[in-house]
Amino acid sequence: MAQIMTENHSPETEADQKQLHQDSSNAAGPRPCQAMSLQETVSHDRDDQQPPARRGFLTSIIAGLMMAVAAIATSLGGKWTLANVNNGPNNNRRKQYGMVIDVRRCIGCHACSVACKSEFDVPIGENRSWVEYIEKGVYPNVSRSFLPRLCNHCSEPPCVYVCPTNATYKREEDGIVVVDQGLCIGCKYCIQACPYDARFLNPITGWADKCDFCTHRVAKGLEPSCVSTCVGAARIFGDLGDLDSEISKLVAKNRVTVLRREMGTFPNVYYIAADHTDELDARRPEVQTVRVITNRRHQKRR
Amino acid sequence: MEHELTWGLPVILYLFLAGLGAGAVTVSASILLRSGDYHGGSFFKLARYGALIGPIPVILGTCFIILELGRWDRALNLFKVINLSPMSIGSWLLVLFIFCSLIYAFVFLPSFLPRFAWLSRRLIPIMHVLSWVNVPLGIGVAVYTGILLGAMPSRPLWNSPILALLFLVSALSTGIAIIILAQTLFRRKKDPTVKAERRIIARREATLLRPGRRNYEIGYLLTGSDMLLIGSELIVIFLFVMFAHLTVGNLKYAMAIILPGGEMAAMFWVWVVLVGLLIPVLLEMFYIIPKVVYQREFRIHEGSEILISVAVLVGGFMLRYIIVVAGQITGPLGV
Repeated sequence: MAQIMTENHSPETEADQKQLHQDSSNAAGPRPCQAMSLQETVSHDRDDQQPPARRGFLTSIIAGLMMAVAAIATSLGGKWTLANVNNGPNNNRRKQYGMVIDVRRCIGCHACSVACKSEFDVPIGENRSWVEYIEKGVYPNVSRSFLPRLCNHCSEPPCVYVCPTNATYKREEDGIVVVDQGLCIGCKYCIQACPYDARFLNPITGWADKCDFCTHRVAKGLEPSCVSTCVGAARIFGDLGDLDSEISKLVAKNRVTVLRREMGTFPNVYYIAADHTDELDARRPEVQTVRVITNRRHQKRR
Repeated sequence: MEHELTWGLPVILYLFLAGLGAGAVTVSASILLRSGDYHGGSFFKLARYGALIGPIPVILGTCFIILELGRWDRALNLFKVINLSPMSIGSWLLVLFIFCSLIYAFVFLPSFLPRFAWLSRRLIPIMHVLSWVNVPLGIGVAVYTGILLGAMPSRPLWNSPILALLFLVSALSTGIAIIILAQTLFRRKKDPTVKAERRIIARREATLLRPGRRNYEIGYLLTGSDMLLIGSELIVIFLFVMFAHLTVGNLKYAMAIILPGGEMAAMFWVWVVLVGLLIPVLLEMFYIIPKVVYQREFRIHEGSEILISVAVLVGGFMLRYIIVVAGQITGPLGV
């Protein structure tokens, strides 16, 4: 590398010298002196060329390594970034089953909870799906709103990240978070990790259990049992990755919210007109009455 | 206080016992490495206590945690895969540690019998290698118990990077405490070296010599390092509590449970901070300061040694208990 560089340099220096000679023939004075000094500096450069060139070589290797590391890091990082940063259409859309719950249509009848319990024979005291009541105000200015709950089938599921046996995973084909009941050892780590309290340890079988969007029904083209049983059609199930599905249109057209956004889980269960009143509001000194009734064994939300 | 705990007493006991055993083995191996005493000196005997005691609580705790599983018959499923879950990495680490610490303990056994002195000598290289292996493994097991809890944003109280450090410092401190306790309880009362020491002291400082007082270098080493560890534990607890209190949101509300006025405040401040940290550290300072400041000979009463070690052990257990319970009865509040 050093050799190539000196060769490149030499024609230039020769030309310089010629020019200088011409100049010196035209005018007397300090010019030759300058030429001498220039020659000196050039030769000096030649001597010095090797160490900087080697240094440059090393630097380029290090730079290359750093770029490789950066490339690997960004490609790894890319796995975790979910946001579609550019505003154009997303070409990476994948099938992702999700649910929109239109709380305006919910009457708090618990039909979904009952349908779910009978569909899966969920043990007494546990729920895969449940409806919370939120009561506010002092008579006569009072309200009660409903919040149907289920597993959010998160795009960043904390339960999957902590499972030591890979028993719980997010299905590649449709984005449903499921528990492989043959692998689960019942360590309850996922129950701790779920910010939505959507998981429980099945007291009969001893493994972790949760809503799985009725995979057995969905596989046959049916809707989940809570959706088909809902009297007010408050629950809408479908593929969020499909732009023409009803659920995608609903998400696009409505002001939707998700639960516990700050947990960074990117839930796939969206709510329309949900009342996000919570225990934090209940603590505020100016608030008269806020009651959250979970309608399940866990009296408090967690 | 009708809370339902997903992880109950077996997990709390496991976190305490695994930390205790890992701490004891780590301390034992580092004593061996630091002193280079493989030939039956006082440091060797100290290291032997740690090595022989260490694996017992770890194995006991592991049994507890296996019985806590919903399907304990499937526990071996943990070893079908390895992934980035703290529990997966931790269980591999735990198995490796149990294996290495058991061999490490067995290597010390021939040193009890004079007949097997030749075997002891042969085993020195193995002992040396195993102590190098056991220090990082023991630290790994102690740290992982904290990472296990800290890995979840859904448990704000646990989701702190300093929790793993707290558990590590507490594990080392309880490890030293169990060694102090063991060598106080099992020390031969008619040890000729102790007698000789006593005679020498008696001539110079007869007034300070009371029954039960002992003067020995290893006691200074243990008590001094325990004091430093408890000091750092106090700092870590202070940072843990203060930074959680200074943040806003879920973490602040979760921490409120062990701050004054909280549901578990009295338990935390009395059992962990007072009994587990302040009483032992003050007692240790009482014996350490004369040596450090006035270059007096170090001597400590047996009763004090037992008191210090029992208090540290109780404090270590209560720390695990309160952190595990408080973490589970608090959670994110917003919806």
